[in-house]
Amino acid sequence: MRTSESFPERPALSVQGKTLTYRELQELACRIAATIQGRAGCSTTPLTAVFAYRTPVAFAGALGSLLAGNGYVPLNRTFPLDRTRTMLERSECRSIVVDIESLPQLKAILGGFQRPLLIVIPEVEDTGALQEQWPTHRFFGSRALDPPHAWREPAISNNSIAYLLFTSGSTGVPKGVVVAQRNVISFVDYMVERYQITERDRLSQMFDMTFDLSAFDMFVSWERGAFLCCPSQKTLINPGKYVRDTQLTVWFSVPSTIAFMKQLGILKRNQYPSLRVSLFCGEPLPVSSATAWLEAAPNSILENLYGPTELTISCTLYRWDPVRSPGEAELGIVPIGYPYPGMNVLVVNQNLHEVAPGEEGELLMNGPQMSLGYWNDPEKTAAAFVIPPGKTDTYYRTGDRVRRPVGDAPLTHLGRIDFQVKILGHRVELGEIEAIVRNATRLDGIVAVGWPPTPSGYGGVEVFLEGPSSDPDVMRNSVASQLPEYMVPRRFHFMDRLPRNVNGKFDRKAMLKLLEKGL
Amino acid sequence: MNQMGPDGLRAFLRTYLTGKLASQGREIPKDFGDDCDLLLSGIIDSLGLLDLITAFQEHCGREIDFDALDPEQMTVVGPLCDFVSAQMAKG
Repeated sequence: MRTSESFPERPALSVQGKTLTYRELQELACRIAATIQGRAGCSTTPLTAVFAYRTPVAFAGALGSLLAGNGYVPLNRTFPLDRTRTMLERSECRSIVVDIESLPQLKAILGGFQRPLLIVIPEVEDTGALQEQWPTHRFFGSRALDPPHAWREPAISNNSIAYLLFTSGSTGVPKGVVVAQRNVISFVDYMVERYQITERDRLSQMFDMTFDLSAFDMFVSWERGAFLCCPSQKTLINPGKYVRDTQLTVWFSVPSTIAFMKQLGILKRNQYPSLRVSLFCGEPLPVSSATAWLEAAPNSILENLYGPTELTISCTLYRWDPVRSPGEAELGIVPIGYPYPGMNVLVVNQNLHEVAPGEEGELLMNGPQMSLGYWNDPEKTAAAFVIPPGKTDTYYRTGDRVRRPVGDAPLTHLGRIDFQVKILGHRVELGEIEAIVRNATRLDGIVAVGWPPTPSGYGGVEVFLEGPSSDPDVMRNSVASQLPEYMVPRRFHFMDRLPRNVNGKFDRKAMLKLLEKGL
Repeated sequence: MNQMGPDGLRAFLRTYLTGKLASQGREIPKDFGDDCDLLLSGIIDSLGLLDLITAFQEHCGREIDFDALDPEQMTVVGPLCDFVSAQMAKG
């Protein structure tokens, strides 16, 4: 709201070929907020679902939810319908904002939906037919939305929710992470200062709203009056021209996008000179990807960000330095660096006791970005948010394996705790095998999995590679000299494209399914 | 027919997609033609598009620079084949 008053006519958002000024975005968000605020029953659950995808309604819906005093729950029409239905049901939302493209899916969900909903559809003028078909729910189209001046500033408490985000399917049943407004404010305050964001900046919106990294794009942009540029679903695949046409200054994506762009031949020297900040997060960043990116964006700094959803977007970072960084990288992966101000790090063993400097362990963190836990799930919250022996405050268990730094060295990410497997009785870190294969092949997309399952672990290791195939015997020989026999991959599976989950990360479960099917 | 000409590439694309779809127990749509959007019609997803790009590059025997192709047209049969053909003609 403050930014909107400072820069009412500056562009706030470009999406679907339309540009909205700060005044226009605020006006639509206030109308949505006032409509939700004015209807009794909508505040029994402090959440509003936003079922919209890369449209003005998606962004105004998220802002409108917050202005109404509710956290937003992003839903995504590119997800399977059952997953969306589960997320809507489990969130217990009483209100939902929908864009016109997601309306057919909402109709399919409403068929078996009992709880009365307030449904806001800003792109539909007359909702009479919908109201007639579903009398349990109340529909509000563009004509019925309250005027912006009806909006009243809501009371905000210490635990007011910013968003409820369901984790991706890799853990089975999705868990809803509750992130508080104070968590996001702490994060955004640090980011805008660190990157010196101003109203002249143009930030990318590569992430879907169902991926928490999207919150960086929106709130960092709008905190300083910058221009948020949201490409279409198709442009995400081939973003090169978009970066140049929109003259983006800040780029933020998963590292896999670099491999994509290499494959399309659009990562050439000095192709993206407008970029001054390039950020990557969400999965390990290979050294080779970082160097390739900086050749294409030579005027940019590059930082590797790390953070689980439970610690609000990202909570450690590392700035790439072409001279120093190759020596600080481990397993061919860029370090995750140093915690943000106020965030505390603890590296622990299996019993949650701190390990000695230089040793490996699980990363635990706490601080102003630690979220409130899992929605309506005290059991899972208690399992992940723990008080380690000898400590008095709660830490979040990330499940990530890191090396406790010696002196002022950066934190290095060594893989997931659950990527450690037992092969013929030996404890094996799959990340180590991936690093050696990556080094031998110079391919970025490498995933090692234990296979086949045995009562005590796995019988061996198989490796999936993204890229052109080469002779498996030559490959095996090239890595065999660096690995004990039980760690040498039994088979190599070359694919043009490795399976990825909804957030664009490599999908290990899908690869295991391929093996189950007899690949 | 010139394998790298617009018609040759259309024939290659049809053969490639027919094989891909057959492996999934599906058939190529009857109205498959120049206006067909491979993504919107559900013939391939974004991952499938990268597979297709790789197949084109293998067919043509070299890397193709897709930077100049409008992303909105990248998944439409006619513009995609015409673009690849023009890239090949450039040498």
